[in-house]
Amino acid sequence: MGSEPIERRVSYVGDRLKGSRCPFCGKEYFRVRKYCGNCGRKSLGKMEDIDYFYEKGVLETCTVVKEPTNRFTRLGSYIYGIVSFHNGKVRIPGRLTDIILRNDESINLEDFEGREVVPRFRRRYSVEKSDIIPTISLAFTLADEYYPYQEYKIIGPSKEYEAPGIVGYGVYVSRFRIKEGGIERSVPFIDEDAITASVESGKLALIHSGVDHRLVDKIYVGSESNPYAVNPIASKVAQVLKLGEEEKAEGVQGVDAVDTEFACKAATSMFKDAMALVCYPKNPMKYVMVIGADNAQAAPRGEPGGELDFFVGFGGAAFIFGKEDVIAEAEGWYSCTSDTPDFWRRDLEPYPQHGGRFTGEPAYFKHIIKAGRKLMERMNLKPSDIDYFVCHQPNTACPARAAAILGFKPEQYAPGLYASKFGNTYSGSSPIGLAAILDQAEPHKRVMIVSYGSGAGSDAYLFITTSQIKDKRSRQKFTVRYQAENKFLQYVDYATYRKFKEGL
Amino acid sequence: MREKPAIIGIGRTKFGEHYELDPEDLIDEAGLMALDSAGMERKDLDACYISDYLLQVTNKIGLEEGFISQLLERNIPIERMRSFSSALLNACNAIESGRYDAVLVGGMEKMTDRWSKIRDNLMLLEDHWAYYAGGTPETNHELLLREYMKSYGIRGENQEKLMMTLAQISVKNHRNAVKNEYAHFQREIDVKRVLAARAEEKRVLGLYDFAPISDGATALILASPKRAKEYTDSPVYVLATTLATDYISYSSRPYRAGFIASKISMENALKIAGITLDDIKILEVYDQSTVFEMISLEDLGFIEKGKSWMKLHKNFEDFKGFYHLDGKEVYVNTDGGLKADGNPLGATGGAQVFEVVKQLKGEAGQRQIKPDGGLLFGCVQEIEGFGTKVYVNILGGEKCGK
Repeated sequence: MGSEPIERRVSYVGDRLKGSRCPFCGKEYFRVRKYCGNCGRKSLGKMEDIDYFYEKGVLETCTVVKEPTNRFTRLGSYIYGIVSFHNGKVRIPGRLTDIILRNDESINLEDFEGREVVPRFRRRYSVEKSDIIPTISLAFTLADEYYPYQEYKIIGPSKEYEAPGIVGYGVYVSRFRIKEGGIERSVPFIDEDAITASVESGKLALIHSGVDHRLVDKIYVGSESNPYAVNPIASKVAQVLKLGEEEKAEGVQGVDAVDTEFACKAATSMFKDAMALVCYPKNPMKYVMVIGADNAQAAPRGEPGGELDFFVGFGGAAFIFGKEDVIAEAEGWYSCTSDTPDFWRRDLEPYPQHGGRFTGEPAYFKHIIKAGRKLMERMNLKPSDIDYFVCHQPNTACPARAAAILGFKPEQYAPGLYASKFGNTYSGSSPIGLAAILDQAEPHKRVMIVSYGSGAGSDAYLFITTSQIKDKRSRQKFTVRYQAENKFLQYVDYATYRKFKEGL
Repeated sequence: MREKPAIIGIGRTKFGEHYELDPEDLIDEAGLMALDSAGMERKDLDACYISDYLLQVTNKIGLEEGFISQLLERNIPIERMRSFSSALLNACNAIESGRYDAVLVGGMEKMTDRWSKIRDNLMLLEDHWAYYAGGTPETNHELLLREYMKSYGIRGENQEKLMMTLAQISVKNHRNAVKNEYAHFQREIDVKRVLAARAEEKRVLGLYDFAPISDGATALILASPKRAKEYTDSPVYVLATTLATDYISYSSRPYRAGFIASKISMENALKIAGITLDDIKILEVYDQSTVFEMISLEDLGFIEKGKSWMKLHKNFEDFKGFYHLDGKEVYVNTDGGLKADGNPLGATGGAQVFEVVKQLKGEAGQRQIKPDGGLLFGCVQEIEGFGTKVYVNILGGEKCGK
């Protein structure tokens, strides 16, 4: 068994790549240090906190690991080397991730040395199923490939809105795909899971919004594939992204963090809670982050529940809600719920089961159509008053049919339909669709999102985009379309897909 | 200056796979051989300094001191270190201070009992952040080589020559070990085989570039000069035993094209022994990989920085058993080095000392070297971790004892 206190300390430094800088001589350290080796006593207590989490480094020298140590064997072969930051002020060891090396492949190391890399938050190595899952950001990807380097710049708010809304968002989908039956589905790399996707999408949302991470007062993470039964994803996200005011002495963040679970609507359900909290009388929160992320689970084909294996994807979306510099104001919402057990997973069971045809009419369609119609009715709107529509996407056919029943035309729902690119990302599904729409919508456009969560219920929201949506667009290169249609995508076969999904 | 401690007896086991023996069986064998060769009884020992790197992991044994106490049936002070040179250094300090007159220094390791499981521990000992990032014991050697080639702009044809030189180092060490009855591998290999292993594994360095992991034990009896005289007319003196350290994290060291600790340790050792590099004709370097032998020759000062691959390449065109370096002959790893003699971590340094003692005393049998001008001094370099600790021991015979 691993040692939890060691895990806590390694993660505390390694997840964020924390370091220290001497204010006198500029010397940098990868680890938190109280004084500088050059400057000694005069620097005691004056060292500046730095980290390399949002930086890019250079892979200086590297080699190929063919026979990893025991805990790394599931990674197969990989490239490992020394990464320098800030022109060589700091050098740290690192592994290149998101690269599949065939065992018989010859690598020209000079093709990799000297290239820019970005740190990625990943699982560290394999442990027993009963152990704490170790994570680290000593995994890197090449900055000129799938995942671009992007600066995180905090931009002070310039405008306050009457209604709360979306301030920024981020979508993270992995680099790997499986192509079957005319659709592509996203596949995690072997060191990814719902935890890493949550952190990654939250990081991208901070970059897009320009929101000061210290002003995020609450974080919700909705997922049904948390690798833990007990232990939140949200606390990891809060610590790694340093959400809320940091209490350095104790190493705690002044933020409320909680996980939610309701099949695929675990995240959308919290949108209204987030917006309510930023409007809370007397003691409003500044910003609230909501993440929906899943390494969507499915039993292997041929086993009970294995039908889902044709549709599941991997990815996450994070939304930051607030009242300042809003890009999409909320107009209204409506939710409905019934006790309809159409898809479930019992405790200690690895994969979900579902109710076959029962998941259609009496479950998915009933709730989505009810919520969509009711919200339009309440707001006194017709489908033609709405510019974009997106709903939960378990496959490509169902959302199109639901949209048509509600009276929407393909030009209204097609921009948010990504099931044929990513598969069903469960809690991330309709939020990723919403992000895809926000990626392209002009100001003053009305967007409707209706989620669906088995069990069952739907959340419907109406948003109106603001003029600021265009200002923020240039800050996010890693758009939904960029991730869907990228020349660095890697396609894997079924066996690799199952292995990657299973993880380290 | 205080009088130098003397080695009056030395012993070792064969290195290799000793599945049938416990670690205490190994140290018992080496210890008895050392006592026998000194003509000393257990009861005459004042203390023991022993070393092992990983016994508590590989064999899940408790306090090693207790095992030794039980073997000796003595209640004398016994201390455990990680490397043989560390034990030797501490024993020397004790004797030089006048605390003890006769000490057993021993090392043992039992790697084959749990090899696949201890690679993780070995890597954690080298650098925990490198371990967490996915490094392995072998990758550091390859990164060192990459850093070396980058620092000195060794590319293209020169790079091929360098890689060929490394292969020849391995071949040379295997050839030396054929005459060493204690060696783990008493067989010759050829360059083709070294290159084929690299090609097959699609790696920079292959199976034959690395030392194996072995079981084994080594021991010596160290005595004050006064006590030594009671037992032998030809003691070998420990003229200097030095240690220098470096950052645990290889990547964060300012100098990465070699080991700065080697350089510092050697400079100090020469000063303490009062000799120059030219006086050293036999050298045991810690060739955990072929890269280590090549780079250590530079770090220790025998070859100019960045030039050893070239010098050695030239030497291997017509190799006569020693390196010809600026007009002088240097015999390196005459026992086969770690590559072929074997590498039972805690005992390894003892085998290096064993070889130099035997050579200095003219008792190396088939391996005996006879350099021009005689053989007065020998040198041993032992490394702990990945260049984290470097020990240099300079040994000399009777004529240079004082």
